[in-house]
Amino acid sequence: MPPRRRVATRESALTLGRKHRPDYWLLILCSALLATGLILVYAISPALTTANHVKGAYYIDKQLIAIGLSIVAFLITSQVPLRWWKQAYKPLLVVAGLATLLALLLPVNPAYPAHRWVRLGSFSFQSVEIVKFAVMLWLAGFLSERIKQGLISDSKATLQPILIALGVIGVVIAGVQSDLGSTGVMVAMMATMAFVAGLPMRRILLIAAIIGIGLVLAVSATPYRRDRLQTYLNPEANCQTTGYQACQAMIAVGSGGIIGLGLGSSVQAYGYLPEAANDSIFAIYAEKFGFIGSIALVAVFVAFFARLKNIAERLPDDFSRLLVVGVLAWLSIQALINIGAMIGLLPLKGITLPFISYGGTSVVFVAAAVGLAFQASQFAGFSAPRVSSAASGGKRSFKDNTLRRTNHS
Amino acid sequence: MPNTNTNNVTQAVLRIRIWYGLLLLVVAIFGARLFYVQVIRYDHYKTAALGGQLKQYEIPATRGTIKAYNGSEVLPVVLNQQLYTLYADPVYIKNADVVAAKIVPIVGGDAGKYAKQLKTKKTRYVVLAKKLTPEQKDKIAKLKYPGLGTQAQNYRTYPQSTLASQVLGFVNDSGTGKYGIEQALNKELTGKPGELKAITDVSGVPLAASKDNIRIAPQNGKDLILTIDLAMQQQMETILKQSVKDTKASGASALIMDPRTGAVKALANLPTYDPAKYFDVEDAKVFGNAAVAHPIEIGSIMKPLTTAAALDQGVIGPTTTYYDPASWKVDEFKITNIEEDGGSGTRSIADILNLSLNTGATWELMQMGGGEINTKARNAWYSYMADHFRFGKETGIEQGYEDPGFVPEPKDNGAGIDLTYANTTFGQAMTATPIQFAGALSAVVNGGTYYQPHLIDKTVDGNGNTTPTKPKVLKAGAVSAKTSAAMIPLMEYVVKKHNFSPAFDQNAYSVGGKTGTAQISKPGGGYYDNLFNGTYAGFVGGDQAQYVIVVFVDKPTNGGYAGTAAAQPIFGKLAHMLINDSYVTPKRQ
Repeated sequence: MPPRRRVATRESALTLGRKHRPDYWLLILCSALLATGLILVYAISPALTTANHVKGAYYIDKQLIAIGLSIVAFLITSQVPLRWWKQAYKPLLVVAGLATLLALLLPVNPAYPAHRWVRLGSFSFQSVEIVKFAVMLWLAGFLSERIKQGLISDSKATLQPILIALGVIGVVIAGVQSDLGSTGVMVAMMATMAFVAGLPMRRILLIAAIIGIGLVLAVSATPYRRDRLQTYLNPEANCQTTGYQACQAMIAVGSGGIIGLGLGSSVQAYGYLPEAANDSIFAIYAEKFGFIGSIALVAVFVAFFARLKNIAERLPDDFSRLLVVGVLAWLSIQALINIGAMIGLLPLKGITLPFISYGGTSVVFVAAAVGLAFQASQFAGFSAPRVSSAASGGKRSFKDNTLRRTNHS
Repeated sequence: MPNTNTNNVTQAVLRIRIWYGLLLLVVAIFGARLFYVQVIRYDHYKTAALGGQLKQYEIPATRGTIKAYNGSEVLPVVLNQQLYTLYADPVYIKNADVVAAKIVPIVGGDAGKYAKQLKTKKTRYVVLAKKLTPEQKDKIAKLKYPGLGTQAQNYRTYPQSTLASQVLGFVNDSGTGKYGIEQALNKELTGKPGELKAITDVSGVPLAASKDNIRIAPQNGKDLILTIDLAMQQQMETILKQSVKDTKASGASALIMDPRTGAVKALANLPTYDPAKYFDVEDAKVFGNAAVAHPIEIGSIMKPLTTAAALDQGVIGPTTTYYDPASWKVDEFKITNIEEDGGSGTRSIADILNLSLNTGATWELMQMGGGEINTKARNAWYSYMADHFRFGKETGIEQGYEDPGFVPEPKDNGAGIDLTYANTTFGQAMTATPIQFAGALSAVVNGGTYYQPHLIDKTVDGNGNTTPTKPKVLKAGAVSAKTSAAMIPLMEYVVKKHNFSPAFDQNAYSVGGKTGTAQISKPGGGYYDNLFNGTYAGFVGGDQAQYVIVVFVDKPTNGGYAGTAAAQPIFGKLAHMLINDSYVTPKRQ
């Protein structure tokens, strides 16, 4: 019985091959982003502390604690072996479920009425961040198993569990917690992972259609989402009411001009732009550093995403590849949804900008995800397989498989 | 299927690249959008930003203070005090009842009322309390309730309490001077507010220096030093209050002027009010300075001026005598004497004043016309009334709502102009204020120069530069020096012949005066039978007249002739006060 059980569970051994130097660029880039966020929070701290009647160092202290915790999280996820993480999805899903349950049951802060926060004494976190992390681990393991079993195209074995997971997320997070932003990030992340795993395009389009219908229902059912959509379609007409934050964000971005007002000179942070340190921080950044600074920040993000993409391409193992794809999809989509809202291309969603936004839960779980990718980078090959032949389903050619060290210098 | 894994990998890599390509496409769109918003539409958003962020403020200029003399010392009469208004923005008040309960121990008042105000949804600005002290303001700030704020506001304070309140006037809630000096010199006292255009936070607090900030410093208002002597003013107010009570009058005005400069040394009216509580006043009439703003028919105190005019024209002499028939028929009406003994007989000029002969004053007017009241007489007397003595014209004293009074035109209007003019010789059918009369009498006793009555002795600007008020001559040669010299003993004679208790030491001091008992015209025409205003005008001095005193008592009801019974005693007390307190330099003997 015991050996049979072991077979029934997932294969814990990964075919990762020899370990080599990890991709330190990941660390450098995300440290730069974290530092940028910390400097921003420090720079607008006077405005925040005045408005919220807390002592001067309150925000910086809290953010430093969050960064300390995220270093711990990074060390754990980068050191605990990936094969262990492949097994960890079960307890993590249980923890995520419990945390979500707690968030739903515990009394809420009247300033933020949605049931999103778990408050235990002075310690509080957003349950959805654990959910994202756990779902990513589960899906990477699940999809890699199905690939191995050759069941990736099987409706019952593969599609059905994913649809069930989407349904639960849709009901609990989009429905009860009203967190459409995080739902969007998760759905996009799952879709990306499924797409890369080789789910047939027809299935993916089917899922997309279901999600589209769900989204229309979700928006039309709740008045505040209808308002948000209205605002999104015509922000300047609603500047004094529902569009206030959107308008103030655009004003902050636009008044930054080419070179910006300078680090110490943001005005919009002084009470004009709501959530200046959290959801709206990109607008404050753009006001301070202008077009040049905004492009530079986006470039750093893109460089970071490029490293993740390169790692994912070179990983020999399905689980670790899908995991890194998950990390990439999560962080990039969350960043784009956040920035898109600030520049008036997407509706406001109430999600943070990874690494930059003030807020402990976001920083800690983002760091944990980066830790996984950092560990995986040690097993990435020196170059990606040639795609041209693969696309036509042909044989793999080894002609151009020359040693390239550009990505692992 | 040995190739499955490889195919899977290559397919995965392809799909990663497709996906990543889409990501880069979105990023490129974002980049283009950033360029559009931050570079192309920069002006639009910069304008929008400044529209919300740049606020224009007035930097209030500090209102000038008002001081006055106490002997040679200068004491403050009106100062500024910064107090605070407690307001709230109900949108930010989370728990109105708790906030209300916390406010009560600091500023007092009713928690229920505050809670109701804090719960309102109609407005985002409710005033909870006014005139908080700096200590109360600090305690409110320590509560750290968002939505609760204090705003500084300047208030006038009155170290001398109600003293000279009607001379001062007050400053209303919007910072404008009303009545008295505050109104008349509002512009000088207000100064010029500065201007601040600044980038502010959302609640309007200016942020640190920005090139968009503009600051123009305010020019503070000028400080004023009054000609008023506070001790003299204080005594006058006490005397006036007691006398109004004694004579059961409905009000009174009195003023003391230095006839050599026109400077008002004391001026008071009753009823009065407390300028620190001006908002509690029910009848706005008490705000007015009646001595400047309320002209009445002045009665027989006009006779010294009629006499001076006749003397000045040379139509009578100081020792002229004439036969008085005790009544004159003018325009079918009889002019008789209503006051003291007025039987027929030979009378002197001194008798006209001492016995207050209406017939005598009318006779003086007849002399101006060569023996009868005619156009010449009327023109001559009008010229003295309106031009020499400046009745019917504002004196220009630094007071709000000055009233010029009324002098009838001399041209024949076919409605008994001669009778009207006969009446003006004893102070009826014309009106004047105490300040006008004091100015005119000053000219008669000071050698003939009409000085503009004034209340401001010095003006001190923001840089500490002091500008003294120079006495301003409004009419040189109102009467000749000879006439002036002749009038002094004539008026001294009246005081000598009247009963003052105690009497004046005429060897050491020169005291002259004249009573008036003025009929009060009914609104519909004619005069009341039993209501009179008592008036008195006189001077105190040594070798020269040093103070002119004018007293009007409004409808005294203590019996007797109003001038003698009500106004004369006040003059007596004021004159004795000036002598006893050594304000008067006695004659060199």
